[in-house]
Amino acid sequence: MKLRRNKLLVEPPAGASSDIAFILIVFFLVCASVQPEQGRPQEIPKSEEEPDKKNQSQNPEVELTRTAVILNGDPVPNKTFAPRLASLLARKERQEDKVVVLKSRKDVPYERWINVTGLIEQAGGVVTLQLEEEQAHIVN
Amino acid sequence: MKIPKRSFEASVPSMAMGDIAFLLLIFFVILARAQDDSHLRWEPAAEEELKQAKNYKASVVIDVDSKSYLNGRPIAQGQLAGALTDILGNAEQKKRTVLLKVHKDATAIHFEPVIEAVSKAGGEIHHVLEKQRK
Repeated sequence: MKLRRNKLLVEPPAGASSDIAFILIVFFLVCASVQPEQGRPQEIPKSEEEPDKKNQSQNPEVELTRTAVILNGDPVPNKTFAPRLASLLARKERQEDKVVVLKSRKDVPYERWINVTGLIEQAGGVVTLQLEEEQAHIVN
Repeated sequence: MKIPKRSFEASVPSMAMGDIAFLLLIFFVILARAQDDSHLRWEPAAEEELKQAKNYKASVVIDVDSKSYLNGRPIAQGQLAGALTDILGNAEQKKRTVLLKVHKDATAIHFEPVIEAVSKAGGEIHHVLEKQRK
């Protein structure tokens, strides 16, 4: 005697596919939005059309080259730069006197610039930039 | 004599749902890529203490070739201040953050005008950096 086999329905449940696809959407969107956002905020005073030259001459000036840091005309070793600037700024009471004018040479890499501006901010200074064309304007 | 009504099955074809969702996935991924700058090549500089950026409105990248990009699209440095002013609009001070992603070896002649442009537009700069390895 032959026994009849029961034919089972083996079709995958199609109703779940929309849920799976939706989870895939969420997964890919989350993956796509993960980008580095950690870093350092920096407050740079809004640039003015006519900088106040009287005030600028009283503010500490830092000249930055690839290898050296020059504070008010004196080359300073990297290790002693932050304490020297901190002692200079400690004598100043008004917030606007704590603005440090930073002049960078054209070839200074960003990583070095970030390190030095970090030291200036740690010393209590507020960085303001003097760009190349402004520097030339002052010389003339 | 009562004539029985014939009932028709009118179920939504659920097999198509997967296809619809998959097309949605492609649409959103393309939309996300049009605005981001993950395709640009740059290496962050290192710093010891890092903070998370909040409520940023735009991101400016200077890549390994020292080219500038605003929200993933190339832009001339001269046009950056104007474009940022348009994006930032009248947003309040805490919501004017601009992410600055500068390649670590980019030189001052390339990144300082960008910083000045963000400053001119009234943006709050947030340098994107990586943790310094000790």
